[in-house]
Amino acid sequence: MQFEVLAKCHTTRARVSRMRLAHGVTMLPTFMPVATQAAIKGLTPQQVEALGVNLILNNTYHLNLRPGIEVLKQAGGAHKFQGWNHNLLTDSGGFQLVSLSKFTKITEEGALFASPFDGEPTMLTPEESISIQHAIGADIIMQLDDVVSSLTVGPRVEEAMWRTVRWLDRCIEFHQKSGKDTVQNLFAIVQGGLEPDLRDKCLDEMIARRDKVAGYAIGGLSGGEEKDIFWRMIKQCADKLPDDRPRYSMGIGFAEDLLVCVALGVDMADCVFPTRTARFGVALTSKGPLNLRLGKHAKDMRPIEEGCPCPTCSSGMTRALLNHTATLETAAAHAITQHNLVFQARIMGGAREAIIDGTFPQYLKQFFANYFGDAGYPEWCVNALRSVGVDLLEDRPDAKVISGDGAKWEYSDAA
Amino acid sequence: MTSRPLSTVAFTGSSSSGKYGPRTGRIRIDRQDGTPILHTDTPALLTATSRGLVPHLSRDNVHLTQAIRHLQLPFESFLDRNPPVPTLVGGTHPLHTLLGFSPDNHIVILTLRDPSDGRKMPPNGTDFVSGQCTRGVRKVNLTAWKNYAAQCKPDLVVALSDTPFTPAPHSQKRLTKSIERSIAWLADFLRVSPADPSATQPRNVLVHLAGGIEPSARSEFAERLSEPIEQKDAPGLSPPMNTLNDGVAGYVFDLLPLHTALAADVSRSEGLASLDDDLLHASHHQRSSHETSTELAELFRASLDPLPADKLRVINSPTSPHEILRLVRDVGVDVVDGFWAQRAADIGIALDFRFPAPRHSTPEFSVKGAPPPLARKDEKLDLGHNLFDPRYRHDHARLASSFLDGKSSAELTPDSGSPLPMPVCSCHACSPHSPASRMLHSPVDVHAWADVSPSTLQPPFVRAYVHHLLHTHEMSAHSLLVMHNLTVFAAFLSGIREVLRHGDTAGDEFDREVARFEETYDERMSLWNEAERMWLEVEHARGKGRLAREKEKQAASTIGTAVDL
Repeated sequence: MQFEVLAKCHTTRARVSRMRLAHGVTMLPTFMPVATQAAIKGLTPQQVEALGVNLILNNTYHLNLRPGIEVLKQAGGAHKFQGWNHNLLTDSGGFQLVSLSKFTKITEEGALFASPFDGEPTMLTPEESISIQHAIGADIIMQLDDVVSSLTVGPRVEEAMWRTVRWLDRCIEFHQKSGKDTVQNLFAIVQGGLEPDLRDKCLDEMIARRDKVAGYAIGGLSGGEEKDIFWRMIKQCADKLPDDRPRYSMGIGFAEDLLVCVALGVDMADCVFPTRTARFGVALTSKGPLNLRLGKHAKDMRPIEEGCPCPTCSSGMTRALLNHTATLETAAAHAITQHNLVFQARIMGGAREAIIDGTFPQYLKQFFANYFGDAGYPEWCVNALRSVGVDLLEDRPDAKVISGDGAKWEYSDAA
Repeated sequence: MTSRPLSTVAFTGSSSSGKYGPRTGRIRIDRQDGTPILHTDTPALLTATSRGLVPHLSRDNVHLTQAIRHLQLPFESFLDRNPPVPTLVGGTHPLHTLLGFSPDNHIVILTLRDPSDGRKMPPNGTDFVSGQCTRGVRKVNLTAWKNYAAQCKPDLVVALSDTPFTPAPHSQKRLTKSIERSIAWLADFLRVSPADPSATQPRNVLVHLAGGIEPSARSEFAERLSEPIEQKDAPGLSPPMNTLNDGVAGYVFDLLPLHTALAADVSRSEGLASLDDDLLHASHHQRSSHETSTELAELFRASLDPLPADKLRVINSPTSPHEILRLVRDVGVDVVDGFWAQRAADIGIALDFRFPAPRHSTPEFSVKGAPPPLARKDEKLDLGHNLFDPRYRHDHARLASSFLDGKSSAELTPDSGSPLPMPVCSCHACSPHSPASRMLHSPVDVHAWADVSPSTLQPPFVRAYVHHLLHTHEMSAHSLLVMHNLTVFAAFLSGIREVLRHGDTAGDEFDREVARFEETYDERMSLWNEAERMWLEVEHARGKGRLAREKEKQAASTIGTAVDL
């Protein structure tokens, strides 16, 4: 990996970087769409590329089950299997073991789980996870971590943090011995729950191994914790992580979360949210999400968002037709998925441009004013951005501020 | 009300073997609004749509698929709003505008009912037809249909007709009523309102040839079409229309209700229990055979006998390419709907057949190692691959053995100029190209794409990948399969045209090729039964019981609903 910081925001911790991997250059900060099963839901890889996206994510746990490593090896890796010529990141599978299987038991050796095929006890070790990720062949691979829910408290959190550090060592060793470390880049995952002490210890340990890892992820967050704690954890980690390594915040996808993370110094984020919500008929816009299933859109001949360059809006697809087809026709899901991925890419592209131009604080203010101006600013966003020198309320003394997580949804016709 | 649709549709066809021989022809659509005049060679493919969309295809993929040129648009799904959304669009091409089709390339045929949906419906009335939408059954009366057509300005429009979607058999009385109504409705549709002198007679109307499976009823309907118009009916029907037939551009044959009635006839005469009266599924075990094709051809001829040969003949919902070939041979049909191929994509089948059929003696089957479809016990080949089947788990070949993919064809013809061993499948699954451009979201994004060339041919998507997508319930599987199947189906029709162009001997050659096709490919379609079963298994394994029964009914009778979102 070649990683080069091109520009830094004069006020916040945001930065623009160029990351060169085996399958090309990706400009950061960026949002990574999730192709869990080796396909962005409903789209072809050519369609994804046309959207200006060149780094996507596959899930190791899923690909290991189906199609299986043997098939991927025959195909010459996951890139070739799915026809994706650009950069690819795989997670380690640890998160799915915990989120999808009730029976997973973590031991020092690895994660013991019941095979979803025959129920047989199966062990996923750090070495095994890396080996699977080698077969998949992603440009960025993740260490196996001991994931605990962000709502967990007590000694289990510390235990998981230390185990994650030990597993990192095993992943590093296995990866280096394999000789694949020249093409595939291993990222460490900072754990430690919501406890600043533990995060700090974990950061120290992992930064000590900086010569052996290509980048760092911030894990164990966005699992239902309070947003006010979430941003503090991100900030703590991003502040301490070395400047010359990309920082990846796992499972982040709401627009406001993305921009706060970028301002705190995060370079990469992934989430199924924009593609999943598209299948339920929700389109993302600069004025907030739009639930296209609501009757009020049935005769609306406007596109999702005026001026949006995505294939859906630029083809003249109306809200009315999306209302007619959303959740009933797969092609409606495709159309909204294309739009939502472009929305995510535009937010991040706009951030890159503003950081380079030295206008990122204004960009943040403008975005939040559009997105939350009517409904009220989430208090945690105001706090988080103040911590890096941007006051969203500066010129808006009358702006409403909402406590809690402040997500804004169009649930029903009454809304 | 604004003026009537102004498209004029002309068809010129020729057959070397008389009125009912196989024929090629050309459709000419002149919208008289400045858009290019569109020509299509026949027999041609009519792509089916659902709720206004080609199932599983986003707009960019519709435009990538050259096989998509004629689109059949059932209006009924839009009855969920009043006034229906397409009537609110306005402009010169409201349907193209609303649905994202290109006036320069796409021809839209508007019809009230989805011809592939054979579900039981409440009876029609003396002046209305029942249509189906998400909010239930809606009545559409004659005036409303006239207005919808005028507001939507389709390139072709199908007049309302009274086809019973109640369980067969239908009584003599019902058939007589059906004919009376259909004639009266057509006359009404063709009539220009005296209140609107600026309106012109539509020249783009298609009519269903009514009469069910009674040859005498079918002749009766056709004769009524060709009778001189009585004085009392004349107002509003301007010269040179001497007969109603003068006012129509072509005829439509819906095979689904005919197949259903024929099947009911057989089970009745054999004393079997009547078919499930709840469902008349297109895909539900409607299979073609020599016998049914012969019966259908006789019925069609009964309709066409009193009528001139110079009008377009459209068939909806054929069940196999064998049936299409026989109807081309024995009746001379010009436009064929793609439901069959599109439904195959719903249930995971990648089509793999050609007309004329490949010759076993040539080594072409083995080119670049794409295994041919399975041979059944009688040595006939399947028409495609059921990619749900575990046999494809490790099959890294392109989808079809009888077509090359773009990339291997490019590698096979460096400069030798030697002919390709077989045609190339131009679909996006077999011959994908990287996009012509990518969106840039910031000025520095040029760094990201600097060393990636646009519009380059990519390797084909392979069976193992689509197999994986099907088993993981990924929608992309169906997108790839629809593009592929429509392309293979269009190539099949193009193959028919090719043989028929061979001049005087074309008729004989065509007969021989039809016979060879019948000997080569399995018509019992065992593959379809297997694919439907596996598709349902994967569907059930997913374990979401959401309206499962209703969904199954719906899924089996319409396209595009195969995937749970």
